[in-house]
Amino acid sequence: MRRTGAGRGGYRIAVRDATQPGPPGPATPPKPRIISVGDLTRLVRETVQRRPELRDVWVEGEVGQVTVSSAGHCYFTLKDERAQLRCMIFRDDRLMMPFEARTGLRLVAHGRVDVFEPQGAYQLYVDSLQPAGFGDLALRFEALKAKLAAEGLFEASRKRSLPAYPLHIGLVTSLSGAVLHDMAKVLGRRWPLAHVIVSACQVQGSGASQTIVAALRRLARWTDPQTGRRVDVVILARGGGSLEDLWPFNEEEVVRAVAAHPAPVVVGVGHETDVTLAEFAADVRAATPSVAAELVVPSRQEERANLELLAARLLSSGGRTLTERGRALRNERRALDGFRPAALLRGERERAGLLLDRATRVLQGRLELHRAHLGRSAERLPAVLSGRLAEGRAALARRAASLEALSPFATLERGYSIVRDAQGRVLRDADGLQVGDPLDIRLQRASLDARLERVRDSRR
Amino acid sequence: MTDRPATDQQTAAPLEQDAERRRIAALPFDRALAELQTVVSRLEAGNLPLEESISLYEQGVLLHEHCARALSQAELRVQRLVESAGGQLRTLDLSLGEAEEAQGS
Repeated sequence: MRRTGAGRGGYRIAVRDATQPGPPGPATPPKPRIISVGDLTRLVRETVQRRPELRDVWVEGEVGQVTVSSAGHCYFTLKDERAQLRCMIFRDDRLMMPFEARTGLRLVAHGRVDVFEPQGAYQLYVDSLQPAGFGDLALRFEALKAKLAAEGLFEASRKRSLPAYPLHIGLVTSLSGAVLHDMAKVLGRRWPLAHVIVSACQVQGSGASQTIVAALRRLARWTDPQTGRRVDVVILARGGGSLEDLWPFNEEEVVRAVAAHPAPVVVGVGHETDVTLAEFAADVRAATPSVAAELVVPSRQEERANLELLAARLLSSGGRTLTERGRALRNERRALDGFRPAALLRGERERAGLLLDRATRVLQGRLELHRAHLGRSAERLPAVLSGRLAEGRAALARRAASLEALSPFATLERGYSIVRDAQGRVLRDADGLQVGDPLDIRLQRASLDARLERVRDSRR
Repeated sequence: MTDRPATDQQTAAPLEQDAERRRIAALPFDRALAELQTVVSRLEAGNLPLEESISLYEQGVLLHEHCARALSQAELRVQRLVESAGGQLRTLDLSLGEAEEAQGS
């Protein structure tokens, strides 16, 4: 008290208070003023209450003794190496809290500091309790989330769609642990056509975020400009863990690396309920690593069924092509038969017979090949389809047979034409022809009257 | 109207087919599947000359065979991407039994 009025920060209050009417006492200025315990305590309390930073404070420490009064209020101490802090939670607040103070826990308490005058003790009136680490991390999480969201990093418009059939799949995860194994199992079952490139990283602990960023960069660099080879999609994955364990996936550099990766990134971290900022930045968020693996590849079963359908359509369209030709030829012949003299028709048939032989040889050669191919692929296909393929083969054979029967003019369809001279003879060479002679050219859908302009050697 | 077109086709076709077969064998699954879809659609649309129908059909059969084989015979390849001190990237085969790299590639 001797230094009262010395002008040093904390003591100025006493000076100011000394100007107010105090308890009765000697009025002589040089003599120290004596005030009551109550007044002093009131002074201290008012001082504390005037400091805004003491009205809204987060404090971390270890819980010491805990007692709950008969009224239901909870009293405990928070301590660290240097000091102790008395804390109290009112009954109503305590009953609302999901988390309870227990001796030995490290925790973070939020509240206001006040002085309890009857005991002359300052204490923290706690309105919120969280496990240590959580409060701090949760605050950082929210702050960083707000900042990156403001930058547009989590915008839906930034999200890229995943490739339907990824060839090269990048996995960023730890080499140890079950996660890599689980994902490889899913990928191998669903889509073994993929090539998996594992870019290993640490998934927890200090330094983990740098290794994650480096692993993502390695995958981005793994390109071959000659073949165009690159990673088509990336999975960033980690198994479940505490908030601290998952923290690397909330680090700014990791979040940015995910958003900036040249390939679409799927993030599957922790369990369903865990949310990390990397997931917000991901093109697709997966609840777990295994779900991520499911999401990036098609299903082999579905693709097989799809392929079966295509094979069936291929067969029926091939068959239909031949049927349509057959019908066209039948009509053609009927039309020709109607107006050609019998002798002429015989000659045509004879000529056409030769063409038919040739056409049949070609066609049959091709059909043999089809049968061989279909036979080979059928061996590997499910029984349902191979049955269908067999039907198709039989149908093809029938079509080919009916074509053979009908085919005198098949070659017209293929673009050949029949040329006759004025006497109606089918021409095989230019012998006896004069420039200016009339020619009758029979095309598939038309007949032309033409004149001979010039004879060249037709053999090329 | 000589014999030539027929003989040409008989000798040329296997060569063309070999080239086509090799081209298809090198196709990744998605490209082969897309081509097969195109082939089927074109065949179904019709209005093609017979020759073209036949060669399209053959192409379709090869594509289907290629896709079916890929689906049934593929085995997942897992490699590890590592960076050497000089910054060179290498892939090492990874056997997932113990998640250890087995041999270089």
